[in-house]
Amino acid sequence: MGGTYSAIAVGFSLTWGVTNVINIAHPAFALLGAYIAYWVLHFWGIDPLLSLLIIVPISFFLGIVSHRCLFKPLSTRTRNLTASSMVLTSGLVIVVENIILISCKADPRVITTAYTGKSLFIAGVALPITSLISFVLALITCAVLYVFLHNTYEGKAVRAVWQQKEGAMLCGINTSHVTDITYGISFASAGVGGVCMGMMYSIEPAIHSTWLIYIFLIVIAGGLGSIRGTVFSGLLIGLIIGLAGFVLPYVWVNLILFGLLLIVLLIKPEGLFQQ
Amino acid sequence: MHERVRLFGIVGLLVVFLVSSFAMSGFAANQKPIVVGGTLPLTGVFAETAKWIQKGYEQWAEDVNASGGLLGRPVKLLIYDDTSNTGKAVTLLEKLITVDKVDLLLGGYPGTAAAAQMAVAEQYGKVYVSMGGHMPSFEQGYKYSFSATPLMGQWWAEGLGEWLESLPPEERPKSAAIISMNNIIGKSCRESIVGWLNKLNIPILVDETYDLPLASADALVSECKQSGAEAMFANGFFADGVLTVRAMKSLDYSPKLLFQSIGNLVPAWVEQLGDDGNYVFSGTAIHHNLPYPGIARLNEICKEKYGRPYAPDYFLFGYSWAQTLQQGVEGAGSLNNAAIADYLRSHSIHIISGTYTFDERGLPKPYSYLTQVLNGQVELIWPKEVATADPVYPFPAWTDR
Repeated sequence: MGGTYSAIAVGFSLTWGVTNVINIAHPAFALLGAYIAYWVLHFWGIDPLLSLLIIVPISFFLGIVSHRCLFKPLSTRTRNLTASSMVLTSGLVIVVENIILISCKADPRVITTAYTGKSLFIAGVALPITSLISFVLALITCAVLYVFLHNTYEGKAVRAVWQQKEGAMLCGINTSHVTDITYGISFASAGVGGVCMGMMYSIEPAIHSTWLIYIFLIVIAGGLGSIRGTVFSGLLIGLIIGLAGFVLPYVWVNLILFGLLLIVLLIKPEGLFQQ
Repeated sequence: MHERVRLFGIVGLLVVFLVSSFAMSGFAANQKPIVVGGTLPLTGVFAETAKWIQKGYEQWAEDVNASGGLLGRPVKLLIYDDTSNTGKAVTLLEKLITVDKVDLLLGGYPGTAAAAQMAVAEQYGKVYVSMGGHMPSFEQGYKYSFSATPLMGQWWAEGLGEWLESLPPEERPKSAAIISMNNIIGKSCRESIVGWLNKLNIPILVDETYDLPLASADALVSECKQSGAEAMFANGFFADGVLTVRAMKSLDYSPKLLFQSIGNLVPAWVEQLGDDGNYVFSGTAIHHNLPYPGIARLNEICKEKYGRPYAPDYFLFGYSWAQTLQQGVEGAGSLNNAAIADYLRSHSIHIISGTYTFDERGLPKPYSYLTQVLNGQVELIWPKEVATADPVYPFPAWTDR
């Protein structure tokens, strides 16, 4: 569960870290990906994993369009991009949610594949296949992002812009192009994360606000912009939710989770895995 | 003499003119619609259910207007979207009363919103007919709140309890596990279940509560499975209900009985979960297969208008709440809310789901029907007089399906 949330959280963390934009609408775009997977399965019987071939490019394109039409103009008109972006993306959430609501109705949807509800039993421990697939997909997404950011010219440019925008510009890096890529990647990873979530949970137009709570939790605990931090933090949160219920009354799980977040913020406000 | 006749004539004409003007203005006033206002969560987490309640209200208004209106006046609905936010539901209800000055109120949804709105309705002396905010909200001494058809969590397992009681003791489950969402609805349903389990001497091995949103049901279901409980009770909404059923299937946990309180009442349960949604028991206070003529007619209407095989439960709930209000108004013969409340408290009402008499709290006698999802249909199981199918019990193992 934690790993799956990481797939969405990593893109959220990236745009926050690189461009100072807190994209509240990020999980809503992930939800859009989940809905595309649902309809593609519903109408053509195509497995959600295969539908990623459509969802990833669409999401990437949406990321670039959002940057050029919304975030870029905003960044030139505001002094406090972080605060302004929250206001802008809160509005964007309403737009995306209502588009989903009008086109897909308010009915909850469930993605059911041939492997839904089946498990791999290893040493008596049941591992639900959808959770495993979602987890592996989330890990692959994070790994691809990590390799891209650390081993490619464009990725290094993204990191350079993040660390020192003016310096990057002096080095001849086209920051607008780099930010385009950042948004494209961020939205594409949201699309993948949305499919992972759709395979595990029921979806309905307002569910993204629930996802946002855990995304914030993972990003804050893991450290802003840190891919490794996002993955480890997601895993840690998943483990806490999974294990705390075994030793304590389940109703305490959220108390423990947010209590630990408070401690992390007091001791290491930059996040557990931020260097 | 002629002067006097002329004077009488003028006065007579004036009187005729004034009387006819008065009568004409009275007639116009009668044609002014009665505005019935309320809030529903038309967007947000409860939208799926609320949209059916809205359709039920609209159908009621259509029927009333087609049969000559309420007290001879047409009915007009004014429903605001509270976006599944209880705070907003309260604010908008106050707006309806103080700004829009609606004549009558419609009940809100879900129980959390209804509980909060009942206090507002009471404050302004407006009759409020709804599902109710479960038992505690009917124990505040309110004069204007009523529930018919009731949706009372504390009665939710009445049908199940009576059916279990009818089984030979050796066939009943020997132990139970309960997981409940941490809100008034989950707690109310749990109360009903615990009451019956205690009465039937079925020990409760697991009794967990979780906060919404539920991130994963795996840990909870594992705990229930490990306990070896023969009956599983899940008091949750649709999303956590789906998680629970999927976790049960993944972990291959097949107790003898699975009771899901709320989630499986929405049409999406059978439509979206397919076979995995089958054999789940639940309770309800209204059902499309109840042998009442009003319900049969609404089933036909839902077929024609919405392409549904039958009227969804919440459509019927909405319709019946508005019908209760209508009978109060017609009985009182006015829009005076105090008179409407007095009438409802002192007379029986006859609505699509049956006949009800209210007690001091505004509640009818406790009851619920037991349902089970069979072949993708929500069937009535108990009481026997209304049953549409025999129960499948014990719950078939996941591996045998």
